Amino acid sequence: MWNQLDTGFGHWNVFVWLCFFFIVSGFVLWIRSLGRMDYKRSTDQDEIYWSGNEVPDDGAKISVPASSSYWGFRVAMEPLYALLNRFHSGNASDYAGYFVVTVALIGLLVLF
Amino acid sequence: MTDSIVKTTSDFAGNAAYVVVALLVIMALYSILTQKNLIKICIGIAVLGSSVNFFLVLLGYRQGGIPIYYLGGAEKAMVLPTPQCLTLTAIVIALATTALMLSLVILIHKHYGTMNVDEIRRLRG
Amino acid sequence: MNWHDHLPAFLVMIPLLGAFLTPFVASWGKLVRNVFFVLFMALTLVVGISLCTATFDGRVLVYVMGGESFSLTLPSGMSYPIRILFEIDGFGSLLILCISIAAFAGALFSINYMDRFSGWKRFMSLYFLMTAGALGMSATGDLFNFFVFVEISSIASFGLIAFWRDKPESLEASFKYMLISQVAAMLLLLAIGSLYGKYNALNMGALASMLRAGTLERISLALIVSVLAFKCGAFPMHTWMPDAYAETPSGVTCLLVTVSQASFYGLIRVCYSIFPALTQGGTVGWILIVLGCMSMFFGVLMAVVQHEIKRLMGYHSISQVGYMLLALGVGLLALGNRNDIAAYGLTAMKGGLFHVMNYSFYKGLLFLCAGALYYATGTRDLDKMGGLARNMPWTAGMFVIAAAAISGLPPFNGFVSKWMIYESSFVVHPLLPALAMITSVLTLASFVKVFQAAFLGPAKEKFVAVREVPYGMLAGMAILTVMTLLLTLFPGWFMGNLFENAARALLDHQGYIRAVMGGI
Repeated sequence: MWNQLDTGFGHWNVFVWLCFFFIVSGFVLWIRSLGRMDYKRSTDQDEIYWSGNEVPDDGAKISVPASSSYWGFRVAMEPLYALLNRFHSGNASDYAGYFVVTVALIGLLVLF
Repeated sequence: MTDSIVKTTSDFAGNAAYVVVALLVIMALYSILTQKNLIKICIGIAVLGSSVNFFLVLLGYRQGGIPIYYLGGAEKAMVLPTPQCLTLTAIVIALATTALMLSLVILIHKHYGTMNVDEIRRLRG
Repeated sequence: MNWHDHLPAFLVMIPLLGAFLTPFVASWGKLVRNVFFVLFMALTLVVGISLCTATFDGRVLVYVMGGESFSLTLPSGMSYPIRILFEIDGFGSLLILCISIAAFAGALFSINYMDRFSGWKRFMSLYFLMTAGALGMSATGDLFNFFVFVEISSIASFGLIAFWRDKPESLEASFKYMLISQVAAMLLLLAIGSLYGKYNALNMGALASMLRAGTLERISLALIVSVLAFKCGAFPMHTWMPDAYAETPSGVTCLLVTVSQASFYGLIRVCYSIFPALTQGGTVGWILIVLGCMSMFFGVLMAVVQHEIKRLMGYHSISQVGYMLLALGVGLLALGNRNDIAAYGLTAMKGGLFHVMNYSFYKGLLFLCAGALYYATGTRDLDKMGGLARNMPWTAGMFVIAAAAISGLPPFNGFVSKWMIYESSFVVHPLLPALAMITSVLTLASFVKVFQAAFLGPAKEKFVAVREVPYGMLAGMAILTVMTLLLTLFPGWFMGNLFENAARALLDHQGYIRAVMGGI
């Protein structure tokens, strides 16, 4: 049983998963094929919808840069990130300090 | 040969050397953590290395033991020369790291124009 | 005399020989140099694989350096071994396999990647030394020898991190890593020295057989655990990791990942095989679990907001190491109790060891993909990339596989190992798998971001001329992709032959002692 894995809690078989995946994909494609095919080509129905704005010709202008993604997440977690950025101060003596403090803490925990 | 540290160092004179080791380690850590100059931090690393080497040499001392090669007769038990070997290896390693570290400091000084550890912080966050 | 018996010596000898032959060979022209580099790495790989297959039946290989006979661990009249010896069991051979494959892939990748740069002699020598150090760390049966190998691989890695010494960031990363690493190494030596002072032995098996609980042992254990946790990048001490991983040439980062795995090996070996008398109580297990959870969570939180591709992956390394610390910490909680081991401990350990191998391959692959992007576009900033899937279809494809695997998407191997960790840590506390799952979700989120920013989107004008990277680099990436896919398709085979064996070898600490001390 090269692809079967028993963990004591359950089983994992990658080929069973793949079979299931393809069956479900078949269903998805079937449901998709039920959609309407009678839209009018090269009219407004064919246009890209971009939040009601005009789509610029140069696509490079509207791409979202990586540092803008998850903006909401970052803003919501702002206090935590302020703390974390302060922690990663870039100062080598701070980093050495974290190490020494952790060693001391682990030492205390193991000793008592 | 099976004596532990605790047994061989029951007297004050024996313990004093270990106290020196502890002091040296604390001094080295102090200079690494509080000094701003990169060279002083490097000195701290070197002192730390030396204090550990000192500790290893101390381990080689056993009361009543005879060092290998010099005084040992055929019938007398000699102390294992392992700590000496360890120390030699550790000294070589400390030499290599100190040399590399100082050369890094030279290059850092060339690029950043400063030796202050607070100002070498381009990588953060 | 059988050459097969001497494999453990060859394991370290071949890369060391390579390191010291390099200065001569590298001046004989480009072709000779490249063939030499790949050939020696391939030889190391062959030795690594044969060592690994030799331990499939649960055997512990012992090799004594410089003795009358390679298998004589106790020379006449000695009650404990005095020579340096190599001791390779299932766990060690697992790491040896990971390191040798990643080193080979990184070497293939570097041939094209480093072609534009001078300083090949230094690069190859240091690369060989780092491989030798990492392999030695996972093969040695002697604590001081372990320290020496740690230092060999660390010093080589300081050199390689600062390899581009005209870039201030590389120097800075190297200096910061070196500073803490030297403090850590000295504390490790202090711990090893105090153990030697008390027990007169440096051999791991001999120490394990004599060790009793005491204050000195506790201090040594704490020092060794925290130093090695630092080396593998546990949370409050992880700060060197994103710096160093980001600034190293990519082929080396792939190896650097497995070097930190070798430190992880040392940590686990010390906890399970040498100090089981002290670690059974649960404190050390909980320390590893807490370190693991913090690394997982904060590592991935920092990764989500990065926009420099290798730095982002560096933060992910921290969170991936967290999974392994969590898994092996859970295993440590169960240690010594047969029922707990059967109930959840063994599953946790198998999951953790599975994750060790998965991590070395898909993380190495991700770093190689990042290197390919850097090679093709000349930037590591995700904000400046875009639309590269059209120009670099192979890199994009392999990146997707690695990203899916690291995010734990079924059916990839990352899912299987994470699933085993979830299941078993749930028994200890339901919060642990919850935290691990949040981490997994955030991992997926940040890799979606990387894929979207680098490969998808409209083509950028300045990248029109970008082509797929050379074949050597693709070959290096392909090796790791194939390994990831093999682990995905045949988890049962790897589990039965490698991880089960490694977990049992860890649990059977008497067997580890017996291999050195004989029947005592």
